[in-house]
Amino acid sequence: MQLKTRNNINVHGDGDATMVLVHGFGCDQSMWRHLVPAFQDQYKLVLFDLVGSGGSDLLAYDKTKYSTLQGYADDLLEIVDHYAAGPVVFVGHSVSAMIGLLASNVAASKFAAQIMVGPSACYIDDENYRGGFSRADIDDLLDTMESNYLGWSSNMAPAIMGAPDTPELGVELTNSFCRTDPDIAKHFARVTFLSDHRADLAKSTTPTLILQCTDDLIAPKEVGDFIHRAIPGSQLAMIENVGHCPHLSAPAASIDAMRAYLAGLR
Amino acid sequence: MRERRSSAWDLWEDAPCGLLIAAPHGTLLRANATVSRWLGYDLAELIGHKRFPDLMPMGARVFLQTHWTPLLQMQGSVSEVQLDLLHKDGRRIPMMLSAIRRERNGVVQDEIALLMAADRKLYERELLAARAKAEAATNDLELAQARLRQANGAMAAEDRRKDEFLATLAHELRNPLAPMANVIATMELRGADAPPSGRELGVLTRQVAQMTRLVDDLMNVSRISQGKIDLRLEPADLAQTLKFAVEEAMSSIHAAGQSLRIDLPAGAMWGNVDRARVTQIVANLLNNASKYSHRGAYIELVAHVSDGSAVIQVIDDGMGIPADQLGNIFDMFSQLTPALDRAQGGLGIGLSLVKGLVALHGGEVSAHSAGVGHGSCFTVRLPLIEPPADAVEEEPPPPPATSSLAASIVIVDDNVDAAETLAAAMEMLGYRTIVANNGQQALRAIAESLPQAAILDIGLPDMNGYDLARKIRSEPWGCEIALVAATGWGQESDKQAARDAGFDLHFTKPLDFMKLDQQLRPLMPNVGGQV
Repeated sequence: MQLKTRNNINVHGDGDATMVLVHGFGCDQSMWRHLVPAFQDQYKLVLFDLVGSGGSDLLAYDKTKYSTLQGYADDLLEIVDHYAAGPVVFVGHSVSAMIGLLASNVAASKFAAQIMVGPSACYIDDENYRGGFSRADIDDLLDTMESNYLGWSSNMAPAIMGAPDTPELGVELTNSFCRTDPDIAKHFARVTFLSDHRADLAKSTTPTLILQCTDDLIAPKEVGDFIHRAIPGSQLAMIENVGHCPHLSAPAASIDAMRAYLAGLR
Repeated sequence: MRERRSSAWDLWEDAPCGLLIAAPHGTLLRANATVSRWLGYDLAELIGHKRFPDLMPMGARVFLQTHWTPLLQMQGSVSEVQLDLLHKDGRRIPMMLSAIRRERNGVVQDEIALLMAADRKLYERELLAARAKAEAATNDLELAQARLRQANGAMAAEDRRKDEFLATLAHELRNPLAPMANVIATMELRGADAPPSGRELGVLTRQVAQMTRLVDDLMNVSRISQGKIDLRLEPADLAQTLKFAVEEAMSSIHAAGQSLRIDLPAGAMWGNVDRARVTQIVANLLNNASKYSHRGAYIELVAHVSDGSAVIQVIDDGMGIPADQLGNIFDMFSQLTPALDRAQGGLGIGLSLVKGLVALHGGEVSAHSAGVGHGSCFTVRLPLIEPPADAVEEEPPPPPATSSLAASIVIVDDNVDAAETLAAAMEMLGYRTIVANNGQQALRAIAESLPQAAILDIGLPDMNGYDLARKIRSEPWGCEIALVAATGWGQESDKQAARDAGFDLHFTKPLDFMKLDQQLRPLMPNVGGQV
């Protein structure tokens, strides 16, 4: 199995150090569009799609292997081995923050640092822990995914409603972002939102930065604080942002926080 | 004074779809009257007070964050998204949404159109359910086809094995015919008066015995597989039975220049068994060991008691069994291709017969071999019982008393050869015989000669043997005659039918006339006394 086609791997820049960026649930590597120009001078950037998402090889989606996040962590370690000479800076959005955590817990020497963008260790409330969701909420989400079953194939593509005023996206309008197969999307949603990796946080020995949005439904501030307390020596940076994707909606603040942290590591 | 509203304004307010304008972070900036009406809110309750996600249940809010917003940010629009919105009273309203992110007068805003989609959602759910059903049906079909292919493959293999078996069977049954034909030809050349030589008789005896064995094996296997074999279970000493089996197999072991070592326990091993069948099991294993071993090989018969079972092992240092064949060596028609020229053929059903008979006794049989050329070991386990209270050493039955007075027998068979040869054999044992070839002839012959016994074939051309027996028994002269049924079928139901028709004895063909003689004599008290 060719890693490159399996994970639709794309390399940008030619820095000495390698930065690996992994998207979260519901999208693909195109989410890093604002970060690539900011870091490609300093780093060799390795972007890829999780198997089952975006331009990955959907035939490689093995429901058993990807029924836990460990399956994705194993893929990540393979990619790090093939594409990086030394320890990497790992950037993971949302669920991929936990995928990076699992990988760096297995092979700490391969990771110089991990930057978690809007991470959550557990989405469902549990006794004194506030994840932000009940089991019923997650079921409601799975039902919503089901409702958009027919939408997946046309993939909520740009409506033909007159050209949107976004000329910089002109070429990309022929593509559609975040394509996925509806069955895989539902399975991935289940695996993501029912995961609980709180116990893995304390095992981390990798230098960690948490980018926490000020108003994020999916990863509320309490969850960021919980992760910050649980991972020894981790740093927490607040990003003024409404939503779950600061790298898309607040790219400048996100880049600044990352740069400040990475400069402090040297 | 009320200002007249423009038609464009009317269109905005009362459009057949809901229209919303929201800031990128979700705050509602404008909404038309259609939205207010559908969602049950006053305009004032929405504008500036609600954010777009506030109008949705949790699932849709998450979806907004993971799909809707990133897509708006990257491609500037989304279309045909189905989400439930919440009515002010909490009802869910399925809707279809499209949105464009636009910059107007330097301000970025999302322009959102909403359509009711309750029926469409239902319809899509039905489509989805139908699709899931179709996929399941397709899976079932594929599974069924795979099973069918597998079954066809198995049947084809079974078919090939059966064809090979039939070819083997034809070959094995033809083999004895050639020497028999030769003997008959030489006898004819010498003329009818010249008596046959001992050598010729020896040939005929051996070949008939071989054919009888083959046919018996065939009958036994098919009866076992149809569950039609009945064991005559009785407490018996297995050690004795093993000795009989050795006697039966010894001739072929000697003929191959092989030697047999026997190691039996000193005491008795009592089992609830059919002695004839256990003899058959062990004799089969011994013959097998001899057949698949080289000239001069060593064969061992070892028995011991372990865990309330008799463990009987037949061990040889012969050609062994390939590992991949060990699993199916007990299956019907699984004869290994004989690797030695001296392998004596056979039907390849001996082991299948062994397995069936052992199973009927509640035992187990297994085969072990270290591989080709390393010999084999067959192990039979049979459950043991407590020795019966009156257990005594068995004595062979006394020899039959020879009669001084010749008894007369009527022999009835439509196969003239069979009738004549049986008559010849019975005459050698000192009986007087009369032969009949159908039911009418038989009735006349019996009424005239009033014999002590009659042997009736069941399949006669004009009436069956059961009816013939009933007719004989209904006559005043027919009560005392000993009647023997001779049939090709030896199942319990056949024996019962014979008893019901008034027969005293039931024999399967070919008749063992020594045994017949033994069993007939007690039924003819007025013929000869004990000497």
